Amino acid sequence: MTGERPLGLVLLEMALLLVLGPLVTGAIQKLKARLQCRQGAGVLQPYRDLAKLFRKGTVQADTASGFFASIPVLVLAATLTASALVPVVRAGPPAFPLGDAVMLLGLLALARFLTAIGALDAGGAFGGMGASREMTVAPLVEPVLMMVVFSTALAAGTTELGALAARRGTSWIFAWSAADFLGFAAMLVLLPAETGRIPVDNPDTHLELTMLHEGMLLEHSGPGLGCMLLASHTRQIVTLGLVSALFFPAGPADGAGAAGFFLGALVFAGKILVLAIYLALVESSYAKLRLFRVPEYLGVGFVCALTALALRIL
Amino acid sequence: MSTHTLHAIVDDLGALLLFTMILILAAGQIYRAIYAVAAQSLLIAIAGAVLAKATGNVDLWVIAGITLVVKAIVLPWVLHWVVRRMNVRREVEPVIPVAATLALAVAVVVMSFHLSATLGPVHQAITGNALPVGIALTLLGVLAMATGKTALTQMVGLFASENGIFFTAMAVTQGMPLIIEIGVVLDVILASLVMAIMVLRVRSTVDADIADLDRLRG
Repeated sequence: MTGERPLGLVLLEMALLLVLGPLVTGAIQKLKARLQCRQGAGVLQPYRDLAKLFRKGTVQADTASGFFASIPVLVLAATLTASALVPVVRAGPPAFPLGDAVMLLGLLALARFLTAIGALDAGGAFGGMGASREMTVAPLVEPVLMMVVFSTALAAGTTELGALAARRGTSWIFAWSAADFLGFAAMLVLLPAETGRIPVDNPDTHLELTMLHEGMLLEHSGPGLGCMLLASHTRQIVTLGLVSALFFPAGPADGAGAAGFFLGALVFAGKILVLAIYLALVESSYAKLRLFRVPEYLGVGFVCALTALALRIL
Repeated sequence: MSTHTLHAIVDDLGALLLFTMILILAAGQIYRAIYAVAAQSLLIAIAGAVLAKATGNVDLWVIAGITLVVKAIVLPWVLHWVVRRMNVRREVEPVIPVAATLALAVAVVVMSFHLSATLGPVHQAITGNALPVGIALTLLGVLAMATGKTALTQMVGLFASENGIFFTAMAVTQGMPLIIEIGVVLDVILASLVMAIMVLRVRSTVDADIADLDRLRG
């Protein structure tokens, strides 16, 4: 269970997250379609979309500056770096200095900031609107996410996710303390917001004024849009991985060997699938909130996270 | 069941109770508040069963059963019935914004934890974090009553508050005498019936809700 993760394993885990990211989106979309009694596109549809986009040419707004073209690559790079910090197949700190959960959240915030900057840069009305909304919601989500991480980190005495997962051990929900329940509740409230889904955002529409994240992608095209989409798939699986590292520590695989690796990957995929099913169910059973109602919704997460911290400290 | 496990389970249930309370405070629709209060009562029944198992007190089993039937099933059903009869708007309009209510809720929770930490020896004698959670639940129920504009949200707040007192009493005394508990439950049933009938009568006579009554002149 313990033991350090060498560089090769970390790189392998990054690749795994990058490759599996679109699959999670595809699975959620498929499940949503089935819940709406539709056949739906196959679970591999996001891969086909990405392949199509990477083959296409780029069209750019005249008003966009030179920086605009590099935005998608930077966003993807920041998200990918963040994915290195999530333990996937087994717990334990990396064998070399890498970064902790605070850095992970910082990188995700950086990706979000760059996306918003890109949307403003292009000069489109939708992009500016989406960016301003995203920047309204982000300050409500990120501190709460931080507090959830801290409330778990306080118990483990470290903010390094791998070490944190290792400290918690493989024990299941029975080993949870009271603060874990509240922290997990806060996380469940936050997950749709962080992954850009109903009731906070709507990932399916491109032309509604209610959307946040998609509005910022409108000005991108071709490989750039592909990078942005891939980044948002990766961001989603990284967030889900963060939840599973915090609350359902990484798999039972003990150390080296291909068998251990595959078992760990399988357990990780199972945990991600459960969270993806949760997201699909929430998306299918709730309506999108009005933008002014979103702070109230996120307020529930905030209070839960703060109470979790209070339970840990007091 | 060891004392440690008991404390852990009561703590966990307390956290879930606080979560349901937060849901009640933040509920945008009256139905959600009703479901949350039903879930809260269910958790209290579970807490009663756990304490009964740990202490071997037969009365607690009876109390847990009564709580389950009366508070988790009958009372929500009565509230549901009133909502359907009244044909009210299902959206809840609080007196102050929900965000402000939630901020107050945080203050209340932190305060009650701080309060019970200063109690020292009294705190030691009580199961886990039951005391601060109980105080917080009771006060948050009062908060829900104070911020609710309609009679129904105030009823939900009252039941939540009552749940808090019930939880504290159960965890602190390891089970009160059965006759007192039954008296309390009967009071709750009676109060809910009186309130339900009141609300419906007020509604049918003057077509107003509780918030409008301050403008009523003879």
